[in-house]
Amino acid sequence: MTWICEETEARLSDYLDGLLEPAEQAAFDHHVNGCARCAPLVASVSHVLGTLRRLEPVEPSPRLVNSILTATQGPQTWRNAKRWLRGLQSPRFVYSAVSVAATIALLLTATGFNWRRPKLADLAPATIYRNADSWVHVVYARSTKFVSDLRVVYEIQSRINETDQNPALREDTIPQSSPKKEPGHTENSNPSSPKQQNRADEFGRNLRVLACEFPTLSGALVDRRVP
Amino acid sequence: MEQDAQLVQQCLQGDGSAWEELVRRHTRRIFNICYRFTGNRTEAEDLTQDVFLRVYRTLASYRSAHGGFATWMTSVTRNLLIDHYRRTKRDRVTDSLDDAMPVVENKESVARRPDEQALVGELSGQVQSALTRLSPELREAVILRDLQQLEYIEIQRVLAVPEGTVKSRINRGRIELARILHQMGVRPS
Repeated sequence: MTWICEETEARLSDYLDGLLEPAEQAAFDHHVNGCARCAPLVASVSHVLGTLRRLEPVEPSPRLVNSILTATQGPQTWRNAKRWLRGLQSPRFVYSAVSVAATIALLLTATGFNWRRPKLADLAPATIYRNADSWVHVVYARSTKFVSDLRVVYEIQSRINETDQNPALREDTIPQSSPKKEPGHTENSNPSSPKQQNRADEFGRNLRVLACEFPTLSGALVDRRVP
Repeated sequence: MEQDAQLVQQCLQGDGSAWEELVRRHTRRIFNICYRFTGNRTEAEDLTQDVFLRVYRTLASYRSAHGGFATWMTSVTRNLLIDHYRRTKRDRVTDSLDDAMPVVENKESVARRPDEQALVGELSGQVQSALTRLSPELREAVILRDLQQLEYIEIQRVLAVPEGTVKSRINRGRIELARILHQMGVRPS
């Protein structure tokens, strides 16, 4: 492969960057070694390239980063404030804030604060104390009543269980007539007397009344027992 | 590169610390491109700031599919440098070796012997001076290839010219730089 001086200049960077084909590389070397014009050119450009690649980075002024940040995002204090505000948007903070707000709202509601017509007087300590005291008494009274109701329901349930254990008291207990018996004859068994049937009817009526009195607590019970 | 793209996304969502991280990661590189192009520290710092301002304003237009964030930033830098070159062309005085600004080398240079350090500093100043005498087209090509160590494909993207043009400019830039340094009395040892 022949190589001329113009090619050396045109392909010099390819040669220096190692991009020549082996045949081209050999022709290039062969030409440069014997050419008084190309040899100094290759040597000087190689030297420049080596120098450029050894140049160390120049350190910018330490203030430069801060100047850039100030120019783009404002002064340091403003940047800090924005960062702090951004921190408030974190889920953990929002969850905590909502919990605190909900607690305060609950406490205010419990102390009788009127949300529809808020008044500053409702937030006075004396008012809060009075409302809280009243609220505590109401809660206590309701709790007492609830316990009392529970007791009644328990008693009803106990009586029903008692009735279950004693079939003679059940309303739907009808004596089965034996096929061997003849009409008008008895065999040591007492057919349900009118007195017993009246008692069962009375018990059913009582259950209905109680079901009306305690629909929530005794609902299931009555559904099961009262037709 | 992926980390850059992630930081850009965070910036676009309003995360100031992500922008701060991007600035810290790229300031030195952008400053060096500007400094090697202008040969002046003050101008280089002003231009670096302008680059980041422009990047900050146009961050939403960056698409990672079109190349790395660093390449995109280099394109912005190159455009600003060319604008700056055209704007200051009239005011520019003839380059002189005496105008070369003192260069603050990084920590590695501290380890050198004082005489070596002086020699490197002198050579660095001469190369910097020779660089500023190149035409802007050849200068940017040499800076990107031989100082920033960019690949040809990246230089193509930054300069928006074909590969043949990139290779030609780099080749001519190196030869021209060698010629200028030869004129300045810098010869291979």
